[in-house]
Amino acid sequence: MFCRRTELDRFRNHRDSVMEWVPGVNLLSGPNGAGKTNLVDAIHYLCMSRSFVAASDQFVAMHGAGQFALSGVFGGAIRADFSLSCTWVRGEGKTFFVNGSPLDRLTDLIGRVPVVVLSPEDRALTGEGPEYRRSFIDGLISQTSAAYLADLVEYRRVLRQRNRLLMQAALQHRPPAPELDAWNDLFARSAARIVAKRNAVLDTFRRLLAEEYAFMAGVGHEPDFTYRTNASDEPAENLARLEAGRDRERERGQTLIGPHRDDLLFTLDGIELRRYGSQGQHRLFAFALKLAQRRYFTDILEDQPIFLLDDVFGDLDPGKTRTLLEMLDAQSGQTFITAANPDPLTSVLDFTGNHRHFRVAHAV
Amino acid sequence: MQLTSETLEAAIEQLAKLPGVGRKSAQRLAMFLVKQPEEPVLRLAQSLIALKRTIRSCSVCHTITDGETCPICANPKRANGMVCVVEEPKDVYAIEKTGEFKGRYHVLGGVISPLENIGPEDIRVKELLARIHGDEGITELILALNPDAEGEATTYYLHKLVSPLGVTLTRIAHGIPMGAELEYIDEATLSKALAGRRGF
Repeated sequence: MFCRRTELDRFRNHRDSVMEWVPGVNLLSGPNGAGKTNLVDAIHYLCMSRSFVAASDQFVAMHGAGQFALSGVFGGAIRADFSLSCTWVRGEGKTFFVNGSPLDRLTDLIGRVPVVVLSPEDRALTGEGPEYRRSFIDGLISQTSAAYLADLVEYRRVLRQRNRLLMQAALQHRPPAPELDAWNDLFARSAARIVAKRNAVLDTFRRLLAEEYAFMAGVGHEPDFTYRTNASDEPAENLARLEAGRDRERERGQTLIGPHRDDLLFTLDGIELRRYGSQGQHRLFAFALKLAQRRYFTDILEDQPIFLLDDVFGDLDPGKTRTLLEMLDAQSGQTFITAANPDPLTSVLDFTGNHRHFRVAHAV
Repeated sequence: MQLTSETLEAAIEQLAKLPGVGRKSAQRLAMFLVKQPEEPVLRLAQSLIALKRTIRSCSVCHTITDGETCPICANPKRANGMVCVVEEPKDVYAIEKTGEFKGRYHVLGGVISPLENIGPEDIRVKELLARIHGDEGITELILALNPDAEGEATTYYLHKLVSPLGVTLTRIAHGIPMGAELEYIDEATLSKALAGRRGF
């Protein structure tokens, strides 16, 4: 898939920017704060209904603006061009449009244009809490499976309902209401579907990760991960575990079993990355994870996802920069790269043909 | 802004409380009514009053009706032992429109949702049990609740509660809308339809 064009209206520091992109590598260089990342973030927003930079839509609108709008034209190897657009109004929220028709649900947007992003924030992926890794798994699966996304939405709803019953009971020092049984059954089935899908996808992903790590770091290393879950892909087993953990759950007033507590334990040559990995190993691992995600999408969708590399080349040595750019050049997918200093990139890749170099001086 | 009529303003305020009506639409509706002759406006007002004064819930199935029991419950031909359990009176309308269902209804008036502080005691579960134990001769319950988390939990709750009572329990099928083309069905619906596939 690729993005041909984007228009930004009061999006972060862009008051009114129109960009025409090429299907190859789009390099955006310019001083810090010029708005390079925001141009790339606009593409991410249109594909995923959220910013990869700002936590809340409040901060996506230009400072002092009560609304913003985005639109983009997208195309793919096996489909006709279509437009995605979005408007956000303070107090009313956001609406997405496909070819001008509003989408009833935001979940209908996800997966239309699959996108993989690597940014400095991805340090958290290998270095911080499990929520970052769960969010990675969900991004990996939900962009290729609407059924998984629907299951995930349902699971979160059931979890909140169930937690509410447990919390009410804990606060009032009484056993939970009898309808907890009904929620348990729903929860056990919903959790099982999530675990089964994560198991299946991560099995495939393991091989891709090893290959992509070897591509970045050379052969002779063994990157791997353990999928840790205290839930099962069998509803009956989940019910049994809920029953076994009943007292602790009542004491704490929340659900302690389930894929909302899953984690991935990354290892390199058998050693836990989070505890013992060097800065360089963390960086390469994050790169490999995202390259593997890109491969996973490509294999399933038979088309390349859009690849966003935000400010990550500064950390890479010249040899690896060259390897990566040559790979991107040889493949058909569209890539966006932001860099304060373009020299290490322009010295490797020719930006006059299939690829283009945009110099962002300041946002307009 | 200077108000020229408090009466008009009061009417706009009331109209703007209706679902799907914003302040602008409320203004347009109120202005329209002001311009109308007296007769149709009074008829509208009377029909609104009647909505509250006359309409009540059926003493058997709790759908909205004018009398003590609704025409469905009053019709002896529909006492065929089948009762379709729905969330709201609007769902009775939806199923009635099919013309396919010849039994009676039971309107729960909600679904179980702890986040909204709605438990089984807040919806008409007791009334349903009373009907099953009563002399209607109920043999089958068809659960026709929405397929969201709350509808599913309520379905499961009723299933547990009613199963021991010797009544056949069924639920409506989920799947593909009639007239829809397979390629345009969203994946989530399609995967549910696949999971719930049936033999010939």
